[in-house]
Amino acid sequence: MSLVAGPGRGGALSSGPSPQQLHTNAHIRYIQTLDKRRDEFEYWLTEHLRLNGLYWGLTALHLLGKPDALPRAEVLDFVLSCLHESGGMGAAPGHDAHMLYTVSGVQILALVDGFEELEARVPGWKEKIAKSVIAGLQDPATGTFFGDQYGEPDTRFLYGALNALSLLGRLDFVDVPRAVTYIKSCANPDGGYGNSPGAESHSGQIFTCLAALSIADRLDTVDMEHLAGWLSERQVSEGEGKGGLNGRPEKKEDVCYSWWVLSSLAMLNRVHWIDGKALESFILRCQDPEHGGISDRPGDMVDVFHTVFGLAGLSLLKFPGLEEVDPVYCLPRSVTRKVLGK
Amino acid sequence: MSHGVPRVSSKRDDERDRKSIDDYQALVQQVNAQMQAQEYTSDTLALTSRLLSINPEFYTAWNHRRKLLSHLMATSAAPGVDLITADLAFLIPLLKLYPKCYWLWNYRIWLLEQAELYAPKEALAIWRGELALVAHMLTRDERNFHGWGYRRRVVMAVERLEGTSLAEEELVYTGAAIRRALQNFSAFHYRSKLLGRVLDERGATDAQRRRVFDNELDISQEALVDPFNQSAWFYHQFLMRCVVEQTILRLTTAEKAAYFESEMARVEEMLEDYDDCKWIYQALLQYAMEFHKLRPEAVACSKLQSWLSHLRRLDPLRAGRWADLETTL
Ligand SMILES: [Zn+2]
Repeated sequence: MSLVAGPGRGGALSSGPSPQQLHTNAHIRYIQTLDKRRDEFEYWLTEHLRLNGLYWGLTALHLLGKPDALPRAEVLDFVLSCLHESGGMGAAPGHDAHMLYTVSGVQILALVDGFEELEARVPGWKEKIAKSVIAGLQDPATGTFFGDQYGEPDTRFLYGALNALSLLGRLDFVDVPRAVTYIKSCANPDGGYGNSPGAESHSGQIFTCLAALSIADRLDTVDMEHLAGWLSERQVSEGEGKGGLNGRPEKKEDVCYSWWVLSSLAMLNRVHWIDGKALESFILRCQDPEHGGISDRPGDMVDVFHTVFGLAGLSLLKFPGLEEVDPVYCLPRSVTRKVLGK
Repeated sequence: MSHGVPRVSSKRDDERDRKSIDDYQALVQQVNAQMQAQEYTSDTLALTSRLLSINPEFYTAWNHRRKLLSHLMATSAAPGVDLITADLAFLIPLLKLYPKCYWLWNYRIWLLEQAELYAPKEALAIWRGELALVAHMLTRDERNFHGWGYRRRVVMAVERLEGTSLAEEELVYTGAAIRRALQNFSAFHYRSKLLGRVLDERGATDAQRRRVFDNELDISQEALVDPFNQSAWFYHQFLMRCVVEQTILRLTTAEKAAYFESEMARVEEMLEDYDDCKWIYQALLQYAMEFHKLRPEAVACSKLQSWLSHLRRLDPLRAGRWADLETTL
């Protein structure tokens, strides 16, 4: 799955079809052809996002109602090719294992219902990945998680760990209460969360913290009114990006925040605190009606990352024709229902 | 991910792409082959430099570099400090070109940690030097998330190595950043985290705390000269929360109520020039509810209703939120 930007640009041309409709078929074709762009330099420069890209593309296709639009056997083979002896996964063959990719790999396996099959091909895989890889990255002193043996801890990795472990049914391998305590230490007076204690609130980190607390069933620890208020202020009231959401105060609107902010509001049952119609219109304006794909804001190049988060945002807004998305996992609700049994 | 990649001609140069791909793949293969063969030499290090200058997002190549450098520091005759400072210098132009590249910042922190192992005598000076670098980075982009996170990380390390607190210095730093740009949310945020620490470290008395606190209120009010400044409202709200929660002050109920009374009067006064600014109504409503808990019936119900109706008119996007608020008034 290529992470190359373009070829299309978001923002409908005046002569094109109405921008206020969802160009489902164009998006499907766009995602299907992403991996055929090996003649572009950027395809190779973005190899470090390949496995994430496959997860983003596949989730987008599921939401668009075309879960089989990528060949399942190739998807499984690719995931397997990213798997290391240790049990962790890298971005692509030849790339080191890291939490970010291991989690994407597990999510892809959930999407294609491939846990059993991988177990048959690599016996003991599930136990290894849950125990020695993911659980091994928890910091026993603080409860947070590292991404690999070198880097700094981050609540992104903490969320990734709880996400993947819950999908694998092995949350018991880590100290969940300690992880919850750590998240609480990242809370700010504005109700939001940073990536570590003392860090500024940021929509992306708020999503990871709320989703981790949801998995741990500890949303009761959240300063709900302040946080939902802060999140609702992320909707931009004026200018070209009216209706779009930003990540922090006084920053520009961006389609990916349609996901980080809106899913957070959904977890707090406060989606109605922003104007859904205005957001919907903003996301639709970021589509390329002809070549497919969604960009960060109208006029910019499209990419698969903004495509999936734009579609997931529309799904949370109950846009007709889209599959329901799970705000905690960014996976189709039908998939999480099946895997988690709830 | 392409953030903010503008509309440009999408006409590609196939010939140039093919050449770039061939060169790039040859380089990647060479690096991988030499790593596989455990050729942990300065030659391999130079190859990773080339690769990472083309593609700093190639996280695996940063890991290669960690292995190479660890090996060289443990085995070479040259002092560890030379290798570390050379590598820190190699990163500077990359940080300027790619200030939002996570792997780059991450690698730099690892490198600085190595200084404690391989150059313990120089480690503190090296970490200290980072404060100047990050200050420079933050004047180029005063909201860079990685930059501010990195600054906190460096400060923690210096504090650990020196066995002292930098809270006072950092408070001064945020003050200067705020004076340069009154809309600097990151600086206000950092200040909110430092204030309590500074007061504790000074061993401030109740009266001294009050004086500092009143001065902070003035700083936020000065920034509210522009009542559309969200950063200033954040800080003002933080301070009013300190009044309620007694995190940095000790006040009687009457004193708390007096703060709400005087601050609400200052905020209400802003309406004379800015009756179309939603933030003012929002703050008034929020403070009125706290004020009410301290002194029941302090604010007339008709006033609350009037502020709310202004808010609804000025901020229709959040109509659902204001409807919920009405049920709690
Ligand atoms: Zn974005």
